[in-house]
Amino acid sequence: MPDVPHNGAYMVAAYIVTAVILLGYALSLYRRAKQP
Amino acid sequence: MSLAHKGRRITLLGLVLLAGVYVRALAFTPLERFQGPAQKIFYLHVPAAWSAMLAMGLVGLCSILYLIVKDLRFDRFAAASAEVGTAFSLVMLTTGPIWAKPIWGTWWTWDARLTLTLFLFFLFIGYLLLRGAVVEPGLRARYSAVLGICGLVLLPFIHLSVYLFRTLHPQPIVLKPSSPSLPGSMLVTLLVSFAVFTLLYVGFVTQRYALALQREAQGREHA
Repeated sequence: MPDVPHNGAYMVAAYIVTAVILLGYALSLYRRAKQP
Repeated sequence: MSLAHKGRRITLLGLVLLAGVYVRALAFTPLERFQGPAQKIFYLHVPAAWSAMLAMGLVGLCSILYLIVKDLRFDRFAAASAEVGTAFSLVMLTTGPIWAKPIWGTWWTWDARLTLTLFLFFLFIGYLLLRGAVVEPGLRARYSAVLGICGLVLLPFIHLSVYLFRTLHPQPIVLKPSSPSLPGSMLVTLLVSFAVFTLLYVGFVTQRYALALQREAQGREHA
């Protein structure tokens, strides 16, 4: 059985990038709606 | 309850459930033996691609409906969907190369699937730039509708590109004629993630649509 590759850093990076984009967009919508 | 308030509630629910997807994917879904932890990017990359294509599909359909009935509600929805689709395609285009590097040995390759998805992103950007550049609402809606229909035409080529051309990108393992080729626990995580990304799409579009209504009302007050 082959060793499982050690590439967890890529996984963590992708999960962080996704959270930043989606939270950032949600925040942008909220702020724009609150602008007078 | 106002539309904006509904949109914010749906988005908040979607973000909480997204945290649940993270927990399920990272802690309760088994590792793939050959790709290792990087394979778990799959649970974000594929649903993001689905949401981006759903967004462009609805931009195209609303564009067709706008050109037929000339109802500005379709144009408003298409504009909202295009902006949300840009965010999801950005997720798709960033998670894809991060997954590709450890598995393919390269961040990017100019094959048919990757190039067409990049083109989809540029279509979203072009659509938003076009809307920003044309002031007259009727003209803006008509020009944007033409571009939206071009985006709709692109979608089947993106889906079929892995069958039609030689590409590093794997073929679909869920959205295909035969049954999904994934173990049960991985399939459940993927389907939950699909549902959460779709919910986020609905929440974002509802908020963006309400924002457009709010801006139009402010414009009428100032006029």
